[in-house]
Amino acid sequence: MAMSGHVRVDQVSITFKGKEGPVTALAPTTLHLAPGSFTALIGPSGCGKSTLMNAIAGFVTPASGAITLDGTGISGPRPDVGVIFQQYALFPWFTALGNVKFALKRLGLPKAELQDRAMAALEEVNLADHARKFPQELSGGMKQRVAIARTFASGPKVLLMDEPFGALDAQTRIVMHRLLIDIWQKHRATVLFVTHDVDEALLLADRVCVMSQAPGRILRDYPLDLPRPRSLRAQAEVLLPIREEIIELLHPTSPHSRA
Amino acid sequence: MADPASPRRVRPLLAMGLAGATGLGRPLLSFGFILMLWFFVTAAGLVPEQIFPSPLSVWQAGVEMAENGTLATDLAVSMRRAATGFAIGSVLGVTLGLLTGRVALVRALLNPFLTLLRPIPAIALVPVAIVWFGIGEGSKYFVVSYTVFLTVWFNTHHGMEYIPEIYLRASRSLGASRQREFLTVVIPAAAPHIVAGLRLGVALAFLSLVAAELSGASSGLGYRLQEARQYIRTDRMFALLILLGALGACVDLLVRWAGRKLVHWQQG
Repeated sequence: MAMSGHVRVDQVSITFKGKEGPVTALAPTTLHLAPGSFTALIGPSGCGKSTLMNAIAGFVTPASGAITLDGTGISGPRPDVGVIFQQYALFPWFTALGNVKFALKRLGLPKAELQDRAMAALEEVNLADHARKFPQELSGGMKQRVAIARTFASGPKVLLMDEPFGALDAQTRIVMHRLLIDIWQKHRATVLFVTHDVDEALLLADRVCVMSQAPGRILRDYPLDLPRPRSLRAQAEVLLPIREEIIELLHPTSPHSRA
Repeated sequence: MADPASPRRVRPLLAMGLAGATGLGRPLLSFGFILMLWFFVTAAGLVPEQIFPSPLSVWQAGVEMAENGTLATDLAVSMRRAATGFAIGSVLGVTLGLLTGRVALVRALLNPFLTLLRPIPAIALVPVAIVWFGIGEGSKYFVVSYTVFLTVWFNTHHGMEYIPEIYLRASRSLGASRQREFLTVVIPAAAPHIVAGLRLGVALAFLSLVAAELSGASSGLGYRLQEARQYIRTDRMFALLILLGALGACVDLLVRWAGRKLVHWQQG
């Protein structure tokens, strides 16, 4: 069986209506994501990395170019392209379990199986004990775990993550990184991970794409063929030079400061 | 040691007493104060009793109306009118608000017109209602439900407009059908606004009901107020006004409580 989840972004540009005519948010960009790969997209804020992600998610329509998933065009949001938002986007009127069930509803499962599968998804992110709690009773890290469980429950071929851990503290982030890699290795969706944190990109991805200032385009593409779990110290020989280069690309004038 | 009677100590104590008066304490403090003020003003004979009755005569007027049975009848009649009008108006308001919020054609056809109707005060409608429905129940239901409808529609529509885009994006990328999105995402997301609209609607139901009963009615609390004017029974008027105030406050508390249960995820 051929692996699915092949994303092709070909010469895609995106414009928004501005006060004085259209504003280019993304210059023509080409990006191919191999099935089951983990790509990090990094760039300065406002460079269009989230815009590109929103286009693949089907939330915005490109002004030119084409986006396809396994050969068919993306014309709107669809369940095989899952999205994890920085603000979690959990429904506050549902419990953690209810949020996961929401993703499973479209499968038309019998009631008992729906319940079992939703519980299993929460167990995978170690939240079975909090299944009956509402999102507002959970910490930021727990909320994002519910969101990850919810998105994986609907069985996406592609997973788009827009700075998913940006609002979390450093300790929680480390836990979330490990959890994400574990679940991803089990489900093997094609991941596009938008971040502005260089270290996060280096620790997680098979490939790091660096974008330029607005209107964005992809400047450099670093393949990272290193075993996981990674650490900057243990794999310093490979990672640190790349890290220096990326920081230099992002901040050409002041190479040692980081936003 | 500081003298306990010195102003330095008295002030914090008083402030502490006020801060401690939470829950029922605070309103009771205020009512007690106003009642005392009222009592002294009337007892001092500053204004004629017939213009500004004392608390005692207002109480007696209330007891009198309760004993001759008019109070219970008027209360029942008015409550039934307010409740019926509110039910019709809020069902129509929520339904149409969901429609104008969701369906572009309905919005284009109705929003400008409904927005134009909003500034017309309910009282101005009473003459039309009487011509259309007579002085019976029909005109009361019409005025109340019309007023409630406009407010509930407006709030529902606004709630629909301000649904965070991220909920819709999440719902669609999780494969929800349009119908499931509407029922389990759009309506709950708009619910806090809808509940706020219903709460306003309850207050307006009483307001417009009394307006309708004041002119052209043969029963109800508003009619009784009007009747009391003809006999210059200010004591009865005061009793009825206090009753209306207490009634409105009780219903508002009830709606607030129900609203909090319904939109439990919303803070405050």
